[in-house]
Amino acid sequence: MTMKKPDEHSEDAALDALLDAARTAPPEVPDALMARVLADADRVQPSPAARAAPSSGLWSRISDLVGGWRGMGGLVAATCAGVWIGWSPPDALPDAGALILGYEAADILSNTAELTSFGWDVEEG
Amino acid sequence: MSPDADRSDTDDALLALYAEGDPAAARALSARVLPRVYAHAMRLLGDAAAAEDVAQEAMLRLWRMAPDWRPGEAKVTTWLYRVTANLCTDRLRKWRSVGLDEIAEPADPQPSVAAHLQNRARYDALQAALDALPERQRQAVVLRHIEGLSNPEIAQVMEIGPRAVESLTARGKRALTAILAGRRAELGYDDEKAG
Repeated sequence: MTMKKPDEHSEDAALDALLDAARTAPPEVPDALMARVLADADRVQPSPAARAAPSSGLWSRISDLVGGWRGMGGLVAATCAGVWIGWSPPDALPDAGALILGYEAADILSNTAELTSFGWDVEEG
Repeated sequence: MSPDADRSDTDDALLALYAEGDPAAARALSARVLPRVYAHAMRLLGDAAAAEDVAQEAMLRLWRMAPDWRPGEAKVTTWLYRVTANLCTDRLRKWRSVGLDEIAEPADPQPSVAAHLQNRARYDALQAALDALPERQRQAVVLRHIEGLSNPEIAQVMEIGPRAVESLTARGKRALTAILAGRRAELGYDDEKAG
């Protein structure tokens, strides 16, 4: 580090004094500016109602998505029917279990219940 | 300081309250941060009217992004200093492109600053010297020595490394000293020293 001459020290001190003065006496915010800033804030502020809506619970949001309690009822009924058909398919329908296990289409269209339908093979002995 | 600025909420909390529709939050937050935004713009531009426009725009951007603000990621003031500096840079570029002659004379500084003639002369001398610095040096010197930010905070505002901050502030101060060296007697510092 280079040593400073006495003049340089006093020049540094003078600059520091100027900067200190600037720090302690910042320009005052004009009233008109504050008023404009607050008017902008009012204009673009989100309304409390708009903020409250998305904060409702996950369940009510899902329920709204499928059409309220009527929609939910229909969805539950359809799900139960699907489970029942999957569990014990009518004769006219191909066996979904056989499809998943990779049976040939011809086998499926004939009676394909021996492995995948519930206990029929045992009953027929 | 106004009562609004005395609220104990953090800047983050006030911004969140504003986003939730609290009607008093904007006033409290503005009372706290607008003086810093305006002073920073004033120091970077040296023009009160332009500084007002920049400060208003920076605050408007803050209001607009309030619903998306993520507390703890950045300080509100750091974000505001950065936005203000960017707006000032845009303004200075525009001035350079249209030519200085077409710009209206800068408005007088605030009366409180100009209350005493010598203070006024010192204010003008410092501002004139700041105006003569390259933009990045000016911004670093103002943030460090007038706004009182730490070097890591300045690094965040200016999006540079801490060593670059040190270099900019050191060079900026040396340049200011050189510019002001010939004006000490005029500014009354020799009298103060003698007295």
